[in-house]
Amino acid sequence: MEISVNEPFYNEKLKALSALYSVMDPELMVNIVDLGLVYGLRFEEEGVLLVTMTLSTPHCPLGEAITTGVKNALSQVFPERTVQVEIVWEPAWDPEMLTAEGRWQLGR
Amino acid sequence: MADISIEKAPQNIAVIPFYGTGAFFFLLLTVLLFLSADDLRGFYFTPHLLAIVHTAALGWGSMVIFGAAYQLLPVICERELFSVRLAFISYILLFLGVSWLVAAFWYFIPGGLMITGGTLVFSAAVCYLVDLGLTAGACKKYTVIKGFIFSSAIWLVITTGVGLLLAINLRYPFITGDHLNILKLHAHAGLAGWFLQLITGVSAKMVPMFLLGKSKKEKLLQSAFLLQNAGLVLFEADAFFAGITARVLLYALLLAAGVGCWLLYLYDAYRHRMKKVIDTGMKHTMFSFIGLLAALLLIPVIYYSTAPKWSILYGTLLFLGWISGIILGKTFKTLPFIIWNEHYRKLNGKVKIPMPKHLYAEGLLKYQFSAYIIALLLLVAGILTGSLPVIRVALLVFIGVACCYCLNVAKVLMHKTKTADGNISK
Repeated sequence: MEISVNEPFYNEKLKALSALYSVMDPELMVNIVDLGLVYGLRFEEEGVLLVTMTLSTPHCPLGEAITTGVKNALSQVFPERTVQVEIVWEPAWDPEMLTAEGRWQLGR
Repeated sequence: MADISIEKAPQNIAVIPFYGTGAFFFLLLTVLLFLSADDLRGFYFTPHLLAIVHTAALGWGSMVIFGAAYQLLPVICERELFSVRLAFISYILLFLGVSWLVAAFWYFIPGGLMITGGTLVFSAAVCYLVDLGLTAGACKKYTVIKGFIFSSAIWLVITTGVGLLLAINLRYPFITGDHLNILKLHAHAGLAGWFLQLITGVSAKMVPMFLLGKSKKEKLLQSAFLLQNAGLVLFEADAFFAGITARVLLYALLLAAGVGCWLLYLYDAYRHRMKKVIDTGMKHTMFSFIGLLAALLLIPVIYYSTAPKWSILYGTLLFLGWISGIILGKTFKTLPFIIWNEHYRKLNGKVKIPMPKHLYAEGLLKYQFSAYIIALLLLVAGILTGSLPVIRVALLVFIGVACCYCLNVAKVLMHKTKTADGNISK
């Protein structure tokens, strides 16, 4: 996921992304940002922070733990905002979405 | 939103009892084998070997596979498990059924105890099929993996149904054909129908998931489904009506081709994997395939030879080499995640917490893997040479393997919630 300097809430998005680095995929032991699971962050006017993301496997039994991790991590950084997580399956996650750091952590 | 887009894992009562009880039966299996070491040098139809095979197939293999399947069905079928209660009922039925059946075989008491045990196991299989069918039934999209899971459950019902008829036949003879011939049909419906197809389906989903490797060769899986089922159906029908003839080799070849397609699919996923490091659990799984391939190569030998050691070796490679090998490894790719989910799902991202791989002793798993290879090779050597001391040593090492496994399973099951600040809350 890339954040442009010109887009609104640039600093907040940077802060949010930094918090999401602490949320790990329990099987792969790689954080969800480097896995490429986070598709988007939207700071809405009504005090909502909407995270659009996917999972590496649809209906993964650990999906709830990962989305709870996202909510917990972001609620600590933005206590004034309501964090919502939207899981999407399009585009479907693909190993090509891993960052270089994520590949390195997986031994590639 | 997240709550409606992802399914929740089934309650642990539908899963955990199977793992704990399966570990107990594996230890029992190795002890029973040690006590009956001499039986491994003779004919397979003895009370003790019947008890041992049913401990392996039902108490150990099917018990753990039921638990894993209830956990994985929502992943494969992409919806919640239809009934947790039905899953737990199947556990009670399977546990009681296996216990009674094994006791009835060990002391060889045909009649009430054996028939009741068989009825309970058959009922457990029906509960499993119903829960599976109603979980998968709502799926709009057919995938070959679902096909494997569903066909394996049907084969399980056929296997346990025929087994029940055989148990009745021992006390109240009514089968006009050869009892031992029907026993072979029963055994192969279980091995090539239930175990092979379930393991094929689950591994086709799980191995690419664990290795982060995708295979686009879906046709290989479809071919595997057709070939495995064609080989088995033809074998069962022909052997039922005409007995065991040289044609079984042709059916074995079809089945072996189905196994080959499945393994090629897994190899393709392995080749394209993103996760380079292969952990001990995956190594166990890979080693188990050698047991399966070696058993398949033995089929012509069993057909042309009259020596009982080949049939004993065949069963050993399938139960201790293949099925046990895959479960010994895959347990630690599933159970720690189930327990971790229960303890840390809500704490994730809030405080520093252990990861699932920290819930078991990795060192102990490595010892288990090494000891398992030694035990299996020694046992194969002992059976081939007919050496009782070698068989006994091998089975002692197997008891050690079972102890390592049980200790690690107990460590995971008794895990207490821990956070980095040292708080233990459960």
